[in-house]
Amino acid sequence: MLPAAKSSNLMCLLWLAALLAGAAGAGAEAVKSGSRGPFLHNIPLLDTEGNVISPPALLGDDGRPQDARAAPYSTEQTCGKCHDYGVINEGWHFNAADGNVKPGRPGEPWILTDPATHTQIPLSYRGWPGTFKPSDLGLGDFDFLTNFARHFPGGGLGDPDTIDSTDPRMGRMQITGTMEIDCLICHQSAGACNHEARFTALQGENFRWAPTIAAGLGTFGSLRNAGNMADQWHTGEPVPAAPPSIKYNRWKFDADTNVMFQVTRRPPSANCYYCHTSQIAPGDARWQSDPDVHLRAGMICVDCHRNGLDHMIVRGYEGEARDRAITDAAIDLRAKIIQRDDTAISSDDARQLARRQLDAELGMIDTLTCSGCHAGGRFGSPRPIHKGMPLVHFKKLTCTACHSGPLPGPQPEMVQTSLAHALGLLAPVRGKNTAPIIVEPVFLYDTDGRIAPYKMVWPSYWARLKDGKLTPLLPAEAAKSVGLPKQNPEEAVRDPYNTKPLTDQQIQHALESLADNSSAAVFLAAGKMYRLDKGKLLAEESAAAAPYSWALAHDVRPARQALGARGCADCHASDSPAFLGTVLARGPVEPSKGLSREMWELRGEDKTWIQAFAFAFKFRPWLKGIVFGAAFVVLAVLAHYALRGVGAITAAMSAKRSQP
Amino acid sequence: MNSAAKLSYIAMCLGAAVLAATGVGVFALGKPPMTHWVLMAHMAAAPVFAAALAAVAATWAGLCRKGSKPRPGAAAKVLLWIILVCGLVVMLSGVLPMTPLFGTGGQRALYLTHRCAGIVLAIAILLHLPALRGRPARNPAAGL
Repeated sequence: MLPAAKSSNLMCLLWLAALLAGAAGAGAEAVKSGSRGPFLHNIPLLDTEGNVISPPALLGDDGRPQDARAAPYSTEQTCGKCHDYGVINEGWHFNAADGNVKPGRPGEPWILTDPATHTQIPLSYRGWPGTFKPSDLGLGDFDFLTNFARHFPGGGLGDPDTIDSTDPRMGRMQITGTMEIDCLICHQSAGACNHEARFTALQGENFRWAPTIAAGLGTFGSLRNAGNMADQWHTGEPVPAAPPSIKYNRWKFDADTNVMFQVTRRPPSANCYYCHTSQIAPGDARWQSDPDVHLRAGMICVDCHRNGLDHMIVRGYEGEARDRAITDAAIDLRAKIIQRDDTAISSDDARQLARRQLDAELGMIDTLTCSGCHAGGRFGSPRPIHKGMPLVHFKKLTCTACHSGPLPGPQPEMVQTSLAHALGLLAPVRGKNTAPIIVEPVFLYDTDGRIAPYKMVWPSYWARLKDGKLTPLLPAEAAKSVGLPKQNPEEAVRDPYNTKPLTDQQIQHALESLADNSSAAVFLAAGKMYRLDKGKLLAEESAAAAPYSWALAHDVRPARQALGARGCADCHASDSPAFLGTVLARGPVEPSKGLSREMWELRGEDKTWIQAFAFAFKFRPWLKGIVFGAAFVVLAVLAHYALRGVGAITAAMSAKRSQP
Repeated sequence: MNSAAKLSYIAMCLGAAVLAATGVGVFALGKPPMTHWVLMAHMAAAPVFAAALAAVAATWAGLCRKGSKPRPGAAAKVLLWIILVCGLVVMLSGVLPMTPLFGTGGQRALYLTHRCAGIVLAIAILLHLPALRGRPARNPAAGL
């Protein structure tokens, strides 16, 4: 037998041993390489039942060629054999819908966007203030997936423990399969995740099949999507017994039916960018922007945004440790390892020790913040010098205020993000006005009372108002309004994102058609609520139309491009964008109709003081001149009398010596 | 003592009063760092104090050297020199952070120096006022 084949067989034996061990015990713990080098993942594929996927022979019994058809692979089974899927599933990317997880600092929401109805509603399962929970809109988990699966990595709400077959929406998962975590979206190292193919699969609700298709292992083996099949199914009926197969690429399998996965524990930044791109200059203008200074220095995202098996990614903001909770699953896992190493320790003691260890490890999170890293010198990071920067700035500003995002201008810039604008997927060229319109940087106070840069989006939606309670309408319901202007085909080709702003007349017409006897219809956009009052359209500032904002931290600019690097006037000037920049609420109405606020107003500051303080900086050179001049005079006087004193002492000593 | 010396002394005391109220006051009340209008007032009073201190140095130093006139008394003379030294330290530690010479470590050292010297200066000025009315120097003839 050839050595390669021998090693391959050995791998198979090891794998079988792992399978048996896995079957015997709960979760995955089985085998680990323990090396800092990568482990070659030449492994068998397992389907959802845990069976090894082995494509049929090239030729059938009748001697005719046959397709390599088999069930799609399951990441829970395949990857989960060695990497505890249950623990991973509680990670930050998957646990949003888990009500027991601390929400942490508000982050980027999902934005339900519909160009036809001019809807853009920030959604989050985490309950961040200013967002809607999908259930608030009547959007179930399954509907959430159909809207956002394109950038949803699976797991969590996509992979429920049980499927409620009586729920007509969720029950579809009996046919479409659950959306398991697609580990390869992040962990494939060769840039081989086919997001486009995955998206196409997910659009057809082929949830179970998507990871296999995205990995390029094969194609969907049926002409009908799982979604179409689910359309034929009704609650209470049996589900189709033979789900479609995957037509595998036979060459992906070696002689032992193992498949080579090019995976890495440290995902390349390009993988993160699929979901976390933030682009100021869209389209052809991309060449004008610089990447984050850390990436230019050779770092990758996960150098700072790292995680353990629990996949609780370090988000990297100061105070994050207090927002983290140690999960029971993490304690269980650690306790298991402790008990393995010390068989004498009791289960309770192991859990207590695990808890203490994990508590201590939480402290490490602080060393991965901007200041934690740069003060501590991790990665050889340069220690910030901040020459000429008075200390008060470090109490009043976050690091990101001066170092992150685009340099502020008279108005914040419009920015597109992967989650909001489906970047990473092919679509007609997205313009600056493509909904949802997000702007950055907006300088607001963070929870610690320091000024930090934020991204900001204004919700825009049609709603019903009854007894003072606002109920947003989902796009499908709002679309029923006959008053909404429809694009003609030529317009739709020229402006696929329907960016033409709504006129007052159009809004009024739509509100009239949406109103019913029991409730009034309102439209919220660009910071205002539009409503009808005795047949007249009124637009008023409304808390319900208030923007949602979340802190931005990237791209980090080099120190020489930080705010303040060119002097105090970067911020302390009569036209300083950080204080006097105009934030214009954006939405599907004419820009002039939106709410307009200056930065100081958004922060609740006093404009008189800001202007007076900025004006005072004109006299700063005078102040320095007077004080230095005065110091010189005082120093001269002190020196004069000090020298005279020294002279007198010397003279007195000489006189004493000369006395007989 | 001529009127220029008196005027400069009064201006120095007024400047110091504003600086102490805004600087030491904020520190004593437990709400550092100084910001907003308080900071503006502090910065506005600073050049007044600095110019007045320079004038005091020029006009009072001769009066306060050892062996000069019996008035002011010895305590007042010593305190004046303390005021001048502390004033110099306070001025330099206040204005040097505005230059691109010191990084965060230096800024912190200057800030602490400014704070400590400012407190000593405020105490010295507070003591100097009654000392001016105190006993004359015991041995005025033993001059330098």
